[in-house]
Amino acid sequence: MAAVKVNELRKSDLPWIIEYDESKCIQCGKCTAACSFNAIMPCVEERKSNSITAPRKTEKVLVIKQNISLDNYCRGCGMCSNVCPNGAIKAVRNKDDKYSVVYRAEKADSFKKGGRSNLNTEGRTLDKIKIGRISQMTDPSLDAQRHTFELRTPLGRVLKADKLNFGHNGEALYETTPLPPNRWIYPIIFGDMSIGAVSWRMWEAMAIATAYLNEVMGIPLRMCTGEGGIPTKLLKSRYVKYMILQIASGHFGWNRIIKAMPDMTEDPAGILIKIGQGAKPGDGGLLQASKVARYVQEIRGVPKADLLSPPTHQGLYSIEESVQKMFLSMNAAFNFRVPVAIKVAASVTSVSVYNNLLRDPYNIVGGFFLDGLAAGTGAAHEISLNHTGHPITSKLRDCYLAAVHQGRQGEIPLFAGGGLGQTGSFAADAFKLICLGANGVFTGSTLLEVAGCVGSDTGKCNACNTGFCPAGIAAQDDRLVKRLDVDKVAQNLVNYILATDIELKKLMAPIGCSSLPVGRSDALITVDKHISDRLDIQYGC
Amino acid sequence: MTACKIKTLNNNTRMSTQELLQTINKKIEEGITEFEIEACGQHDIGGSVWSKSGKNITFKITNPGQRVGAMAMDGTKIIVEGSAPADVGWLNSGAEIIVKGDGGDTTAHCAAGGKIYIGGRTGTRSGALMKHDPRFEAPEFWVLKNTGSFSFEFMGGGIAVICGYECDDIPSILGNRSCVGMVGGTVYVRGNVDGLAECVQKVKLDKFDKDFLKSGLDNFLKEIGREELKETLSDFTNWMKIIPLPKALKEKNITVKEFKDTQWFTDGLFGDLVEDNGEVFALSQAGDARLRKPVWDKAKCIRCNLCVKNCPQNAINEDYNVTDNRCIGCGICSAVCPKSAWTMV
Repeated sequence: MAAVKVNELRKSDLPWIIEYDESKCIQCGKCTAACSFNAIMPCVEERKSNSITAPRKTEKVLVIKQNISLDNYCRGCGMCSNVCPNGAIKAVRNKDDKYSVVYRAEKADSFKKGGRSNLNTEGRTLDKIKIGRISQMTDPSLDAQRHTFELRTPLGRVLKADKLNFGHNGEALYETTPLPPNRWIYPIIFGDMSIGAVSWRMWEAMAIATAYLNEVMGIPLRMCTGEGGIPTKLLKSRYVKYMILQIASGHFGWNRIIKAMPDMTEDPAGILIKIGQGAKPGDGGLLQASKVARYVQEIRGVPKADLLSPPTHQGLYSIEESVQKMFLSMNAAFNFRVPVAIKVAASVTSVSVYNNLLRDPYNIVGGFFLDGLAAGTGAAHEISLNHTGHPITSKLRDCYLAAVHQGRQGEIPLFAGGGLGQTGSFAADAFKLICLGANGVFTGSTLLEVAGCVGSDTGKCNACNTGFCPAGIAAQDDRLVKRLDVDKVAQNLVNYILATDIELKKLMAPIGCSSLPVGRSDALITVDKHISDRLDIQYGC
Repeated sequence: MTACKIKTLNNNTRMSTQELLQTINKKIEEGITEFEIEACGQHDIGGSVWSKSGKNITFKITNPGQRVGAMAMDGTKIIVEGSAPADVGWLNSGAEIIVKGDGGDTTAHCAAGGKIYIGGRTGTRSGALMKHDPRFEAPEFWVLKNTGSFSFEFMGGGIAVICGYECDDIPSILGNRSCVGMVGGTVYVRGNVDGLAECVQKVKLDKFDKDFLKSGLDNFLKEIGREELKETLSDFTNWMKIIPLPKALKEKNITVKEFKDTQWFTDGLFGDLVEDNGEVFALSQAGDARLRKPVWDKAKCIRCNLCVKNCPQNAINEDYNVTDNRCIGCGICSAVCPKSAWTMV
């Protein structure tokens, strides 16, 4: 055996340590076969009996060992424990891990990962807010299970009554100029995850769940496609009306959308211009080559290479220009029939952007999506993920109040996202943001969790960027993708939304609201004085 | 015995509810069982009273306030000339309550016994939370015309009969969203009904229903003084009954799988882009699902057979060929080989 030197990579440098109980192992090989990271392997160890009287015998035994490697290292996903019939193996977090230092020292490269930030130093504002205004004798109390509720919210520019372009011809009202397009949709949007970022099976499961919720359950939930191309047959089907098409800075897949237009029988639900995302504001999309599978190359029109989208739309230099160019062109794409919205990362400058959009004289800005720093992503530089961005709650509130102060709330619907459901209460997070002024919310990470993602916000897995996703969600290798059960995932997504629907009503009923309580911040209290001051909601203690 | 007449407005002074009810109770203790009350909006008249001798108590009331006959019990009979405001017969446990005119909102709310007869229409949430304790007779609630919206909410038992008289021109004799959360009991209806909750069903009358209505109508129409309507209302072609949907019959949506199989793209959304027959791979599965496959180097092999002996799947034969549908790609062959003749790729 070669001599061990101090400057070699050590097991104790790695973030996860494999604990292996040889006495329970039956050498079935399932753990090593299941590990998508190639982080464990069978090995032969030499043993000597420790008897001091009997002749010492050398024996070779088969054991499972951890790979000591910067590339093939354990992410703690736990698939080995899942397949082990005897509980002989598990990954244990190494609290003294030095991986992030060693990686940079060895690779001269920034560390990249998927998932959400693991540096949750700021705490969660939403968890410190409660629904404190309970209607018992002051408002009609409602029964969440049995009464009817109107949860729909607008996507598209809403004109104030005095701005409606109506004429009267003596008999009936008519539009003097066309009204901006508007769709009444469910207040939860399946967040924009591209084909490529997620596997084809994951994407299809989301699309099926969306179609099912609309057509069978009557829940008008919309799915944003992400910017990774869209299968042509979806564009030409009736299901496209449940899809919000995305255009981001990579402009991937739009040639297929344009080519499909003459054969489209339905308009899409909307178009979302992605300027930035909360997980890595200021950074463009990042799809690492390992995930650029053959079909991804096809629909994106690129070779197998790291796909780095520019950090900004390259033709845009100002907010005004973005309205004139991007909004106008995307409105024109479907002859001004489809609402066009924009998604930006929450930032200290968000209000300026929103204010500018509110002044859009052409009524072509149909929604403002704000993505907070707790959002997840398929791949990001860890430095961006952990250290850039703005929490969603106060910025959403700022934008809403900015509109209120101009008497223009609701004109450009606000949608909020980023870390919703992070502590297990997706419906509560959505409800609180709606009370603070959001017309609706969007989520991606929650859907991944429903689909069986094993990752956590404390460093478990987070390997979405690598293509080795053990759950087949963020993988593109068909051996991993085919681990994902489309039917089960689609059903679970549907079930999750049905459960969330019940829970939203369970919060609407006690505040006596049978329609979506957008901006009903009087329903909220907080146990934190700073949050109370900042969000202008009542302090309770 | 002559009825005790109580006039509640004397010299422009109105008797309070408390005064009136306490007067009634005192008279009952004195043995009086018949009352004629000229009310002035006093509440709760006729409720929770009984005579020690077990005699029936009768009230004839004009111009009552809310909750006539609230918590009224067996042996009480209340007749209201004209209409009565909200909560007639609230929590009625056995009284016969007759309102010749209309009843207000939440008429018969929570009634669990007795009979409530309304000679006109009633307001919203009528009959809500009616229930039936099987040890006693079921409550009955009869309305000549129609009820307001949200009636029979959360109804758990008992019988309601809404005759729909002179209601041909209204779209629903139960208003909108009636029977929400109804889990028991029967609501008989004559005429248009729309906007019902999803948890109930309208079904045709059977013989038992018709017999019940025939005999019930006689008494109802007699009590409200409209016997001439017997013939009109006894034409059962326009009658239906509303009962809770049995759990088994509640609308069962198709599953997502069924939706996919019948309405989704036949070869999947990505059928023309990827090879995917829909099989779901297990975490350590032989064949195509393997993440790594063993490759044998003949030149390095010393035929020690350690790989053959140690392969947990018995996937390697004597000629060192690997049976793909047995091998899971665990790498044990490679680990035990003293000459590195197996490589995992």
